[in-house]
Amino acid sequence: MSLDILTRNNVKVFGKGTQPMLFAHGFGCDQNMWRFVTPAFEDDYKIVLFDYVGSGKSDLRAYSAERYGALEGYAQDVLDICAELELKDVIFVGHSVSGVVGMLASIREPERFAQLILVSPSPCYINDPPDYVGGFERADIAGLLHLMEKNYIGWANFLAPVVMKNAERPELTRELKESFCSTDPKIARRFAEATFFSDNRGDLPNVKIPSLIMQCSEDAIAPQEVGDYLERHLPGSTMRVMRATGHCPQMSHPEETVQLIREYLAAIDRPAGPTAL
Amino acid sequence: MDDLLNTAPCGFVSFTDDGKVVEINATLLELLGYERSELEGKHVEAFLPAASRIFYQTHFFPLLRLHGKVEEIYLSLRSKAGEDTPVLVNAVRRERGGTIVNDCVLIPMRQRNQYEDEILHAKRAAEEATLAKDEFLAVVSHELRTPLTAILGWARMLKAGELDETSSLRAMDIIERNAESQTQLIEDLLDFSRIISGKLRLDVRRVELVSIIEAAIDVMRPAADARGIRLQVVLDPRAGPVSGDPERLQQVLWNLLSNAIKFTPKGGRVQVRLARINSSVEITVSDTGQGISAEFLPYVFERFRQADHTTTRRFGGLGLGMAITKHILELHGGTIRAESPGEGQGATFILRLPVMIAHRAERSEAEAVAQRAVAVEDRERPAELVKLDGVRVLVVDDESDARDLLVTILTQRGAEVAAVSTAAAALEQLRLAKPHLIVSDVEMPNEDGYSLIRKVRAFEGGLGERIPAIALTAHARSSDRLRALSAGYQMHIPKPVEPAELVIAISNLINRRQSP
Repeated sequence: MSLDILTRNNVKVFGKGTQPMLFAHGFGCDQNMWRFVTPAFEDDYKIVLFDYVGSGKSDLRAYSAERYGALEGYAQDVLDICAELELKDVIFVGHSVSGVVGMLASIREPERFAQLILVSPSPCYINDPPDYVGGFERADIAGLLHLMEKNYIGWANFLAPVVMKNAERPELTRELKESFCSTDPKIARRFAEATFFSDNRGDLPNVKIPSLIMQCSEDAIAPQEVGDYLERHLPGSTMRVMRATGHCPQMSHPEETVQLIREYLAAIDRPAGPTAL
Repeated sequence: MDDLLNTAPCGFVSFTDDGKVVEINATLLELLGYERSELEGKHVEAFLPAASRIFYQTHFFPLLRLHGKVEEIYLSLRSKAGEDTPVLVNAVRRERGGTIVNDCVLIPMRQRNQYEDEILHAKRAAEEATLAKDEFLAVVSHELRTPLTAILGWARMLKAGELDETSSLRAMDIIERNAESQTQLIEDLLDFSRIISGKLRLDVRRVELVSIIEAAIDVMRPAADARGIRLQVVLDPRAGPVSGDPERLQQVLWNLLSNAIKFTPKGGRVQVRLARINSSVEITVSDTGQGISAEFLPYVFERFRQADHTTTRRFGGLGLGMAITKHILELHGGTIRAESPGEGQGATFILRLPVMIAHRAERSEAEAVAQRAVAVEDRERPAELVKLDGVRVLVVDDESDARDLLVTILTQRGAEVAAVSTAAAALEQLRLAKPHLIVSDVEMPNEDGYSLIRKVRAFEGGLGERIPAIALTAHARSSDRLRALSAGYQMHIPKPVEPAELVIAISNLINRRQSP
């Protein structure tokens, strides 16, 4: 591969432990979203953070609309990083769409993964009546794409040329990159489509790695019905309903998030005992 | 919350990281149609439609949480009654009274939003148009190069003197054919450009379709004969006149007939039928040719569409002919459709025009003569017989090749030709040689043909006599014709000049002048 994977995905490795915890961000964000959670695990694990190609500070030269038009392309990023760092026994922590990305990666290379920790996951965001409630209609996603277009228009189409003309002022670039985690509206749109139009319900039975489903209260993006569905169809899964409301507990309620992950991992380390609460 | 904030002319809401509303001002409550008690303690998602909820969770909140503030975020709010209002949001995350809160200011932007949407729409349309234009240019340059290759190749061989007499004749034949094909290509392009800019105008008058069909058949018969194709014509005398542009309808018939002949094998048959159907006149052109596949049938009239890209085309290959035909008919209030039982089973084109109601669009005789002279004369008098003996013609053209060509054409017909390359020299000649007629190029450096004719007309003003003048230009658009006529020319002929057309036009102008 001509492009170094670690640079391509802006991979960061730190922590004192040996077992890797690989944190995967969701749509609309980058690895920064984990910064309130990772300090709690630094002493015991090797922390691996990254940005998907097209997000954060990844290398946009590696972007391919074809590869990243489907979640399998994102799963390949995860597997590329695992291979590059020779990771084994990985605790995969994925937010939102990255829950499914982690499942897909674990189906392809189960030997690499120990546990999947799925924060606000959903295998399908679109309602499929009469039996499945995903939370959204296709028209809602079209509305989201429009909102994104209008919110990105300023940054990508207006600011980008300013930034390019001001190479001597790196703070402009930094500001731009921090404003939205992906600065290219076409890439963001593709990620949104891959995320919200995917239906991975059929992949659930193929997941062989034990998993924790962290279900928020009052999550409008991954409602309780979705968590229930996952628990029923994902082999070896455990669901914990959080006090945290919303969709991003790692940012709104980092303490509870850390607590639940710790409890889950501790219970696995003591497999004889019952799951601790 | 103090009074000032409560009634400020913008919405204000403060919520915890949990999304729970802790404060909301009266302005926002009024906008949303809720009572304070209905929203306090509720999640902000209570007044966000689905798309905004996703954007809030995936972009707005993460950004606010990670950077402590967001600016100029576009969101939509949903009122209690279910109405959506677009807003622009600025927010900051801070500690107040021992808790972390997110303070947001919201400004409704209904009109600005509509304006923005229109800009976005225009931007997308412009991007698509640019793409289409690029593709079009690629096709055009390819198609224009094809005949040029043949023209240049054979012209060089002729020049080198490498060809015997038979081959030379063949070379000239090929050059002529390819130049004609390129001319047709350019005419199609100009028509097409008029169509997309909405500038294709009809010169409407009473038209007898019988004569249009007969004229088209006359033109196409040699091509049909050469390939052993039988041309059958069935004309219903009750068909009646239609209201239309005879030149454009002629063009439609040529298009349909030449297509039918082109795609019909040796020994086949092409039939033209004219019939009255209720208040319409129907022309059917059917052939026994290669037909149209069911898959291609819906696209026959779309521009740049050709069923078989490898087909050797008689008139170049932009695939514009049928699109132009359809557009011309629609301008006439008519329709056209194509039918074919399938490949190898022939095709039928059926066009319908409304019958003219008892109303006759009259036009000034002089105008009609000026524009129709060529076509009318063409039928009445074969071009070869037209002589210009003794006619003094002043030719003005800055390009020496074009000038030489004009001199040759006119001298061969007996005219006495003086040729100059500038407007100034032309004015000088006018005084010295007193020509009967001027043929002038329009685009010339320093002083153009418009300026020249204005000076000529101004000069004549005192003499009471007007010398007939013909404008030649490379631009065949109707606006060019108008400009030429209004500047003072009697007639406008587009380049490249067809020798017979020029000769007839001159003869016509001279005769009109002589016969009172």
